[in-house]
Amino acid sequence: MAEDYLKTKRILLVDDERELLQLLETILREDGFTSICTAQSAAEALRAAEDRPPALAVLDVMLPDGDGFSLLRRLREEGDYPVLFLSARGEEEDRLQGFGLGADDYIVKPFLPRELLFRIAAVLRRSYREENPCICLQGSEIDFSRAEVIKNGETLPLTAKEHALLSALYQADGRIVTIDALCAAAWGDNPFGYENSLMAHIRRIREKIEENPSQPLSLITVKGLGYRLLVKRK
Amino acid sequence: MKNLFKLIRRFVGMLLLSSPLILLLNLLLLGLLTSRQAPNADPWTMAQQAAEALQLSPEGCSLPEPLEQSLENEGIWAVYIDNHTLRAAWQTKNLPDCIPASYTAADIARLTRGYMEDYPTFTGVGQSGLMVLGYPKQSYWKNLWPSWDYQLIAGLPALLLLFVLMNLLMLVLIYLMAISKLLKSIQPITDGIQDLGACRPVYIRQEGPLSEIALHINRASERLQFQNFQLRRRETARVNWIAGVSHDIRTPLSMVMGYAAQLQKDVRLPQEARGRAEVILKQSERMKNLIGDLNLASRLEYNMQPIEKRPENMLMLVRQAAVDFINLQQEERYPVQWEEERPPAGCTVCADGRLIQRAVTNLLQNCVNHNEQGCTIYLSLLEEGGNCIVSVEDDGAGVSDSQLKRLKGPLQDGSGGAFWQQHGLGLSIVRQIAASHGGRLELFRSAHGGFAARLILPVKKGSE
Repeated sequence: MAEDYLKTKRILLVDDERELLQLLETILREDGFTSICTAQSAAEALRAAEDRPPALAVLDVMLPDGDGFSLLRRLREEGDYPVLFLSARGEEEDRLQGFGLGADDYIVKPFLPRELLFRIAAVLRRSYREENPCICLQGSEIDFSRAEVIKNGETLPLTAKEHALLSALYQADGRIVTIDALCAAAWGDNPFGYENSLMAHIRRIREKIEENPSQPLSLITVKGLGYRLLVKRK
Repeated sequence: MKNLFKLIRRFVGMLLLSSPLILLLNLLLLGLLTSRQAPNADPWTMAQQAAEALQLSPEGCSLPEPLEQSLENEGIWAVYIDNHTLRAAWQTKNLPDCIPASYTAADIARLTRGYMEDYPTFTGVGQSGLMVLGYPKQSYWKNLWPSWDYQLIAGLPALLLLFVLMNLLMLVLIYLMAISKLLKSIQPITDGIQDLGACRPVYIRQEGPLSEIALHINRASERLQFQNFQLRRRETARVNWIAGVSHDIRTPLSMVMGYAAQLQKDVRLPQEARGRAEVILKQSERMKNLIGDLNLASRLEYNMQPIEKRPENMLMLVRQAAVDFINLQQEERYPVQWEEERPPAGCTVCADGRLIQRAVTNLLQNCVNHNEQGCTIYLSLLEEGGNCIVSVEDDGAGVSDSQLKRLKGPLQDGSGGAFWQQHGLGLSIVRQIAASHGGRLELFRSAHGGFAARLILPVKKGSE
């Protein structure tokens, strides 16, 4: 699910349930993550983070020696890495508190392994963007760092809007991104009224990345809802 | 309070209407009494009769026997004054000694108008003189000055009307003064009863004529508040219990789901075992949805779900809910088709966005729950008649008439519990969410062959 360069990132898993920690570790390891450390309490988590700061922490909200929210504050004092809450408390207030403290995502138990992996990958991708590699599509490649598309040996530059749209689509990892979310990615927080401009940009992107823009294989329209970008794994 | 004023108005109206009636009654009574008092005119009639009946002859005057007898029986004396001599030409035997035998014009004027030696006297004109009847003392009262200003009599109708009006005004004033104190006591009582109806705490000062009612209202308020507190405490305990149980189930269920998913995709396992793991996974997902629904349903039912309404673009919410739903689908057995070519982009509702998304997700999930074999889901958004309508339909199994009837019925009828358990809490949550936003949920058979649900929410008005 996550790209190879993300799978070497160190993940800190904190939960008071030993069996759940094992499950989380298994899920991550089976997906290819190689550097995982676990902690069953806030104290253990702080020690582990001190020894070697993780690239991402997954915290339970209820811990035997404190709550995940205060642990997040303490971890943030040590280093600025993304944090994801994994909690059995699904109430709105808890979610808001988590996000209010700067959590990058909040997953309510029970969860499907692939949902967890997707969320972890998405947070990692957002946080460690500078290491983004080139991505391969059906008929072309995109180099995000240079804002270029390479198609049939030809290099085509991407405009800022096209780059923003493709980044948003790429970060969704093959999932659909709504028209509104794409407009927000390109035009900011007030995305209304840009639908026609979005369609024009999508058409231009297709001309650059698709071999046959009228029959797209990479940038797929989901009628009325949004678009998805299908990436070929290297 | 409006009713109270209406009541007072009606009461005053009745009073005003009844006053002329009472006046009329009084006049009638007066008429009746005076007509019965017609004998008052008798003395004058009697005097006139006596004057006319007096037989004058050269031998002397005489009254017919029966008349003279009747005068005597009633203690009436009579004297006939001759016009020429101004002397008594005839008299009854019972004439008091103090009555003179001769008269001056002044005497005649005085006795005609009033009394003679305290005897009320009445006169009748005879052929050649004046008949004077003297009734026993204190048998009649005579008005000595029977004259009125002409203007007064001429203006009598207007004067009477003025009197009536003054009387009416006086009556109203007296009534208002009398009830003003009562009104002062009633005002807090009616306010208190209104507050009781709205379940607000009430305390009314126990004084004045209605202090006893105030006391009982205060007691009723205390009891209501106590019962509300108990009810709220019980509801909170119930919601917390459900939240606690669902919290405790979430972690073990995570492990069931996690390992089932691992087993389901483990290629080393036989296909049959992977199939079983898939069943466990699906059922766990149902449990997951059920826990979430149960928690939200109980919070909505007991008004413990904070609903933060703000202007939300409905198209954005529906799109996001649909995309989240599609993104989470493991298989492609439930394709979602957007039906509108040009959905209303500016359709704004005043709503809690998360709850609306949850409602749309539940409608989509409902299509999945009842169509194991898969189905196409048709989604659309319309703006019609001041409402925003989200329509979710499918071409799946649909529902029977009886099922549809029960789904449209109240959530908690006698047998509803089992039915809603069977059909999940999903739709009931949508209905609760719609209701909490001033909207509604409509259910029917889809033109696509399956089930159809329409979530109808009022479009945000400018002032909201």
